[in-house]
Amino acid sequence: MHIDLLEKRWLYVALGMILLFLGAIFYTAWVHNVHPPGHAETIDSASLHLSEEFAEDKLGVQAEPLANGSVQVRLVAGRYGFYPREIEIPAGRTIVFRLASMDVLHGAHIPMTNMGTMIVPGFVSEVTTVFPKPGEYPLLCNEYCGFGHDHMWSKVTVIAPENWHAPTKGGQQP
Amino acid sequence: MIDATSRKLTLFNFWVAFGAFGLASVFGLYQVLERSGFIPALQSPAVYFASVSTHGVLMAFVLTTFFIMGFGYYTLASSLKVPIWNPLLAWAGYGVCLGGTVLAAIPLLLGKASVLYTFYPPIQASALFYIGATLLVVGSWFWAAIVIVMYVEWKKAHPGEPVPLPAFATAANAFLWLWTSAGVALEAVFQLLPWSLGLVDTIDVGLARTLFSWTLHPIVYFWLIPAYIVLYGFVPQAAGGKLFSDELARLAFLLILLFGLPIGFHHLYMDPEQAHGWKFIHMVGTFAVAIPTLLTGFTVIASLEGAGRKRGGQGLFGWIGALPWKDPTVLAAILSLLMLVLGGFGGLVNASYAMNAMIHNTAWVPGHFHLIFAGTVVILYLAVAYRLWPRLVGKALVSKELALVQLWSWFIGLGILTTPWHVLGLLGQPRRISSVNYNSVLTLAWDPYELAMILGGLVLTASAGLFVYILYKTQTAGEAEQPVEENWAVAIRPATALPEWLNSFGVWNKVIAGLMALSYGYPIIQFFVLKTYDPTAWGY
Amino acid sequence: MRRFILFFTAWALAGTVGAEPSTRVAWTPDLLRFVKAGDPAKGKELAGVCGGCHNDVSTNPNLEGQLPTYLYRQLLDYKQGSRKDPSTAMNGVAGTLSEKDFADLAAYYSQLEPVRGIGGADDPTDIVARGDGRRMEPPCSSCHGAGGQGEAVDTPRLAGQKTAYLEQVLLAYKSGERHNDVYGRMRLIAGKLSDREIKQLAEYYGKLK
Repeated sequence: MHIDLLEKRWLYVALGMILLFLGAIFYTAWVHNVHPPGHAETIDSASLHLSEEFAEDKLGVQAEPLANGSVQVRLVAGRYGFYPREIEIPAGRTIVFRLASMDVLHGAHIPMTNMGTMIVPGFVSEVTTVFPKPGEYPLLCNEYCGFGHDHMWSKVTVIAPENWHAPTKGGQQP
Repeated sequence: MIDATSRKLTLFNFWVAFGAFGLASVFGLYQVLERSGFIPALQSPAVYFASVSTHGVLMAFVLTTFFIMGFGYYTLASSLKVPIWNPLLAWAGYGVCLGGTVLAAIPLLLGKASVLYTFYPPIQASALFYIGATLLVVGSWFWAAIVIVMYVEWKKAHPGEPVPLPAFATAANAFLWLWTSAGVALEAVFQLLPWSLGLVDTIDVGLARTLFSWTLHPIVYFWLIPAYIVLYGFVPQAAGGKLFSDELARLAFLLILLFGLPIGFHHLYMDPEQAHGWKFIHMVGTFAVAIPTLLTGFTVIASLEGAGRKRGGQGLFGWIGALPWKDPTVLAAILSLLMLVLGGFGGLVNASYAMNAMIHNTAWVPGHFHLIFAGTVVILYLAVAYRLWPRLVGKALVSKELALVQLWSWFIGLGILTTPWHVLGLLGQPRRISSVNYNSVLTLAWDPYELAMILGGLVLTASAGLFVYILYKTQTAGEAEQPVEENWAVAIRPATALPEWLNSFGVWNKVIAGLMALSYGYPIIQFFVLKTYDPTAWGY
Repeated sequence: MRRFILFFTAWALAGTVGAEPSTRVAWTPDLLRFVKAGDPAKGKELAGVCGGCHNDVSTNPNLEGQLPTYLYRQLLDYKQGSRKDPSTAMNGVAGTLSEKDFADLAAYYSQLEPVRGIGGADDPTDIVARGDGRRMEPPCSSCHGAGGQGEAVDTPRLAGQKTAYLEQVLLAYKSGERHNDVYGRMRLIAGKLSDREIKQLAEYYGKLK
């Protein structure tokens, strides 16, 4: 097989470029632990409201922080909203979102942040993130879920940590 | 000149492809108008999502499949210089594909299949839609079988000789397509069809999404390979030069076949049903498949530089100006490469594992794939039509100037359309929304970009209309001329003897089987091991 | 040790017993099959007593052509107390019937021709087709269907329903008096509607054919 010298050089450049990209991603993923969501945890979407975790009075920001100090938020995605529809979370703390769908495919994304996941019926989605800045953020459904899809969104208010108080019980909806 | 049967097969396939293209463009225009929300009378989620589904199916499945079949027949007949093996089978495949398309079109246009071209269970479409889509795929397998038989027969008749590059690449695409379509075929036959026909009540959505991802990425290479055949096979000769390297071109096609297949999980990065370790493995493959594209970019640009210098171009960049910009094939190739660079950059962000979360399912994604698909790929399909129409119908192209205007306007329209989409994506606008109802300060910033999007849609639709007009006019009112022989590009150093692994697919298919088992084995088996809860059917 | 285990078990149980869910019905594939298998002929026999109240009283809904899943769930919710009839009549009737009876009744009523509105429906609130983004109100039609025909799994048919009944139900959702909607979805929606809008929407669906 004949490979021209120029071709050979370019092949090395191309390989080097790809290895550089892969190296950077490998570093952020396995050293800094930045991964996309996904841990293949199943749940029965049809009886979500009767489940332990996603019962109506267990939703929203959890009163008790997790063992590592992060705040847990449970949301149900259903046509056409995220329930509870408004939540308040502290800035600067690790937030663990756990989401499940009660009907069809949904997506969740807070624009300009890395809080995003698909929500597939039959599975629990888990996303871990930190919001550095207080403010009001929309939480949008970003996967086609039916004719009301454009209306599927909720409000997330990020509050300065000193002003934030954990709710006393789950399931409250404004 | 190729035989009359092959010409007719090519032409009939092309008319379906480009008819679908023209129609789908009109749907596209409606979508940008509706989505912008500036014309309240147009607002209707039901019509919008029916339109998006139809646009996607026509562009991604109908245009591509029929074009690739037609172009494949032409490529084999003209480069191997033999008639199509078993034309009856070819017509049967054509009939099955066309029948499937019509069956799928009925529920799509009636709004009974608004599940987009990615199917989206557990939202359920009319069974007719899944049957039609399945037939379209099954019909295309006839084509793949014919291509492979012709490739094998030619090799038998010419022992030790290298298979001509265009035929070799087409055979690679036939193998790629058989591998690629298996995923969606499994989903259709074992999940979607029984479920939509009411034979089973539930559907395993995780499994369905995993099987669809198997098809969803390599299908892009199925669309891309014909475009690369144009870049390697037509462009150097049209620019007045030679192909820089024949052997590296073969290697590029083989690497696409190898790396293109087991990487579909980058469509599932944000999905909960697959663990991130598997996603990481598929991510490595996703980056590896950039290598054949980088090789292609090099070889094609080197071939163009050779041509430019031969035409008197001087200095570091002088050869660019010396290229025949007024040749539709060359112009399309240059514009295609430009859009590949931009679209490829966006693709790197999509492919980047965790960074993907920022833009997943935002307007960034349609921005990216319109640049790659409508830009890089389809512009070369259009160039093929301009080049082949005179050879197929025996009439001169009605106007080369109009063709150039059309290609430029396609490029400009895509620039105007996709730039705002990339920005909107970064601003977090979801894709697949029919209107903006969010009462948030953030979403007010989207408005100006929506306006630009309309302009892009207008330019593109006009351009698509012009394209169909030029073909139609050429066929009906063009001046008769003697069709010329296809002259495929010749390499500077033509391949005379090749190692067997650069001239056949046997060993490659075995390696692919291993890679596929490795990357999809457990991720599929897990759905039979895990206790999954399958949802029932939902409407729109 | 034994006492400790007993105590621990009691504590764990107390922890898991949450508030009453809005409904105990979950649309699992098995339950959907069960409802689908309802026998309309048996349902017709059982339905003898229903007509008296449902036909004559304007605040009692039409049942003809309603989704079987919706009818089944409401009956079971009445029986289990998830939905309370202000007059307690429905809780009493449902209490005497079995789940199989519910499936039969649902099958019977769902296959009857629905009562149609008089036509000429118009929606001054624009919420049916467009919703209201400022209040996070999705359009009614996105769940109940473009023609108010009802949708999977148990979103009820509204077209041609009695206006007085619709108004009463929306007001009951608004006040929280009715609360058998999973995750409070209708309570959230109705809670943001004014009484005037509720009246207009009830009139719209009442007139819909």
